[in-house]
Amino acid sequence: MLQDIISKERDRFAEGVQTVLRGHENRSRSVALLKGNLVNNARSESRGISARVTKNGHYGFSSVASYTEKDAEMVLRAATENALFLDQRAKAPRKTYPAQIPGQIPAPRLIVDFEQKRIIDACRTVDDYVAKKYPDLLSRRIIYREDSQDKIIISSDASSGHVTYPRCYIYVFLTAESLSGAPVELFHAFGGFGSFEDNFADVTKLYPVIDELYRHLMDKREGVYAEAGRKQVILGGMMGGMLAHEAVGHTVEADLVMGGSVAGPNLNKRVASDLVTLIDYAHTAFGETVPLPVYLDDEGTFAKDAMLIENGILKGYMNSRESAQFFGMEPCGNARAWEFNDEPLIRMRNTCILPGTSTLDEMIASIEDGYYLIDTSNGQADVTGEFMFGVSLGYEIKKGKLGHALLDTTVSGIAFDMLKTVDMVSNQVQWESSGFCGKKQPMPVGMGGPDMRCYITIGGR
Amino acid sequence: MSNIREVSEKVNRLLNEKQQKVYAFEVTESEKRELNTENAEFSLYRTIFDSKINVTTIQEGRKGSASGNDLTDEGISKAVDDAILGAASAEPDTANQIAEKQENGVFHTGLYEADMDLFYQKLEDLLGTIEKKHPRIKILALIADHTKSHTIYANSNGTEFETFDGAYHVEIEFAGFEGERTTGLSYTGIATYDLETPLIEQGDIEIQLSDAEKALNQAGFDGKFEGTVVFTPGCLGFFLYMLSYNYLSPSVIMDGTSRWLDKVGEKVASEKITIELKAQDERLVELDAYTDDGYRAENVKVIKNGVLMTHLLDLYAAGKTGRNVTKNSSMNVVMEPGEISLEEIIASVSRGLIVGGFSGGEPGANGEFSGVAKNAFYIENGKIAGAVSETMINGNLEDVFRNVTAISKEIICDGSMALPYMASSGIVISGK
Repeated sequence: MLQDIISKERDRFAEGVQTVLRGHENRSRSVALLKGNLVNNARSESRGISARVTKNGHYGFSSVASYTEKDAEMVLRAATENALFLDQRAKAPRKTYPAQIPGQIPAPRLIVDFEQKRIIDACRTVDDYVAKKYPDLLSRRIIYREDSQDKIIISSDASSGHVTYPRCYIYVFLTAESLSGAPVELFHAFGGFGSFEDNFADVTKLYPVIDELYRHLMDKREGVYAEAGRKQVILGGMMGGMLAHEAVGHTVEADLVMGGSVAGPNLNKRVASDLVTLIDYAHTAFGETVPLPVYLDDEGTFAKDAMLIENGILKGYMNSRESAQFFGMEPCGNARAWEFNDEPLIRMRNTCILPGTSTLDEMIASIEDGYYLIDTSNGQADVTGEFMFGVSLGYEIKKGKLGHALLDTTVSGIAFDMLKTVDMVSNQVQWESSGFCGKKQPMPVGMGGPDMRCYITIGGR
Repeated sequence: MSNIREVSEKVNRLLNEKQQKVYAFEVTESEKRELNTENAEFSLYRTIFDSKINVTTIQEGRKGSASGNDLTDEGISKAVDDAILGAASAEPDTANQIAEKQENGVFHTGLYEADMDLFYQKLEDLLGTIEKKHPRIKILALIADHTKSHTIYANSNGTEFETFDGAYHVEIEFAGFEGERTTGLSYTGIATYDLETPLIEQGDIEIQLSDAEKALNQAGFDGKFEGTVVFTPGCLGFFLYMLSYNYLSPSVIMDGTSRWLDKVGEKVASEKITIELKAQDERLVELDAYTDDGYRAENVKVIKNGVLMTHLLDLYAAGKTGRNVTKNSSMNVVMEPGEISLEEIIASVSRGLIVGGFSGGEPGANGEFSGVAKNAFYIENGKIAGAVSETMINGNLEDVFRNVTAISKEIICDGSMALPYMASSGIVISGK
């Protein structure tokens, strides 16, 4: 855990500029077993100080990979020089953003470290279970990954505080041979916010889900190709979360709106059916802590929820302090940096489509000929809202009943067109938080959603 | 800042004091100066002083690794202790090895010191040229940096490599805009030492900007057909990455799921295909001097006239599978050019697409891929009919490289790869 040696450096902040000084430590632990072989066994730490200084809207940033009072002084000086470098060469000043009422975030949650042996033993236990129970698998991988961020944020004209964000996961990949002899694969990520002990004190609790994953894999090895074209489908909660993040979330990040995203001309217009409400949650949703809570961002803004789509109408964007000023909106704490040497960028936190009132069974029963698309391997989207998700697990729906499993396929569409076709939304939300979002820097994000009945384009032969 | 020569000596001493017999470590000190724009104006200037230490130890086959960026005595001790503890926690495995003794070397590449005033001026020229020559292009982001790094790698077999690298990098994210019409995002980038040649003329920057403007003129077609796809060099690079991961990488050879598991020495692709990983090539800017295992990097032919020459295995995977280690762990890929021009290739296509990017899931082990064709143009009867959106391509990765109909004589080099345009038939193309 970082010790606060930088608060007193506030006295060195220059006049006439806006400054954020950040002490920042990231830690990662990783273990990987491939068919029982230990192929990765690594620990990593990175620590440093950064300063961001804003002069007439021009940002100067500097960081150094060590953590002393002298380093703080050095980055403050270098960041100021960089801001002046741009300011002196600029044809005109850029617009500045207003000061906020200062505040202080309370003491952070502790980051608890565990010995590498304990982690390896846990992975080995899970691997032994899979190897013994399912010897017919072509391959198996058990991967542990833990990362944590520990930040002390000192702002000249906003809030300050000490925040920590630990998370850890065990990923189980199972590979079998399909009837045609080609390998098919499925994986599941276990874990979430917190330390090893919070998530994996008893790894036998993972077994029922591993058993279910194996059953899905056996279905998939006998799977069929999806029929290409526009189909009525139920997007499962994991797919809904991916849609919330990739296809809509990115287009409503204010920096991309300024860059010309499809959300620009659609503010306060209908972009989805009235069953769709989308919120980027800061730390609490539905009365519980979200998968990756954020309390204070790296510009010193207290984190609060950002309403994006309300009953189908596009209501707002995710902002930095600068973009919030530009759009006349309130900053909600979306400016986040991954490593000590990264500048804050507008990032999602826990983006979730709200649940509706239908049950999944009703929704399946309502479809004559379509698909239930349960899980996704990855997704990408464009500023036009054109998106693509890989579908790793899905089933046919024929006459209101589940049919064959699907081989890997892809769905695509234009987000604001597709969301207008949503006509049933389930009463349950599934969250996912094990990945990174990529936008110049990686960033842990949570995403969630209910099952949604809609029309979508499926790729296939 | 630290003196990494001193740091390196301390790490070596510490590992010996702790009686480590087999180990390797790397210490790096780097400095990055980066300019960022917003709305085509410079908005952010970053200076990053960074360092890194990476230690791996192997005790009777037990391997542990630790890394950090703290080069103080305390930080060095922690990295060494964490690696030793990690190794003690692992199971023994005789495949855990480091490379045998190599000839030591000092390698200098690129421009170690930046001229940021000149670079700023060249970037302003680039933005000015784009505004003048491509008025329908909107730059969403330009990220440009000079990064220099000084690294020492050493291991317990007495090998030491010292590198001094420096290069300029420019990445641009942009789209075509006209009235309410907008294209999808395009990305391009270069690594370069050259501030003499205008930046817009380097890599494929000019080509991509022109294509994004052309993409404002949309064409369309209904239904689906089996056609020819002309992959741009940028898109081809992504397909080569997928090919290497799916058929050649350590994990798929070790777990036996590669479709090319026993194909070394056999024809796996069209005879038009020759692919090499480079350790020396005057067109490329950032070349690895040594591999992750501690071998001096070599030029490695991966596919020669369609015949698979090697998998891409590190020392561990090679030991585990009884195969040869690959003495190049980079993705500095070069493909041999063909004999006809891009124009002639397009003229030979009766129906198909030019595809500048692929937005799709990584194919499963069977190589089946399916995704959206980005920055794509529809070709009919040898002519470009216009840009397309919401168009998917589906096929098999292996077939893409088997069914090659043409390779262009034009090669695009972005500083890290040098690749031609490549046309492949038999790909399912689905319109709206």
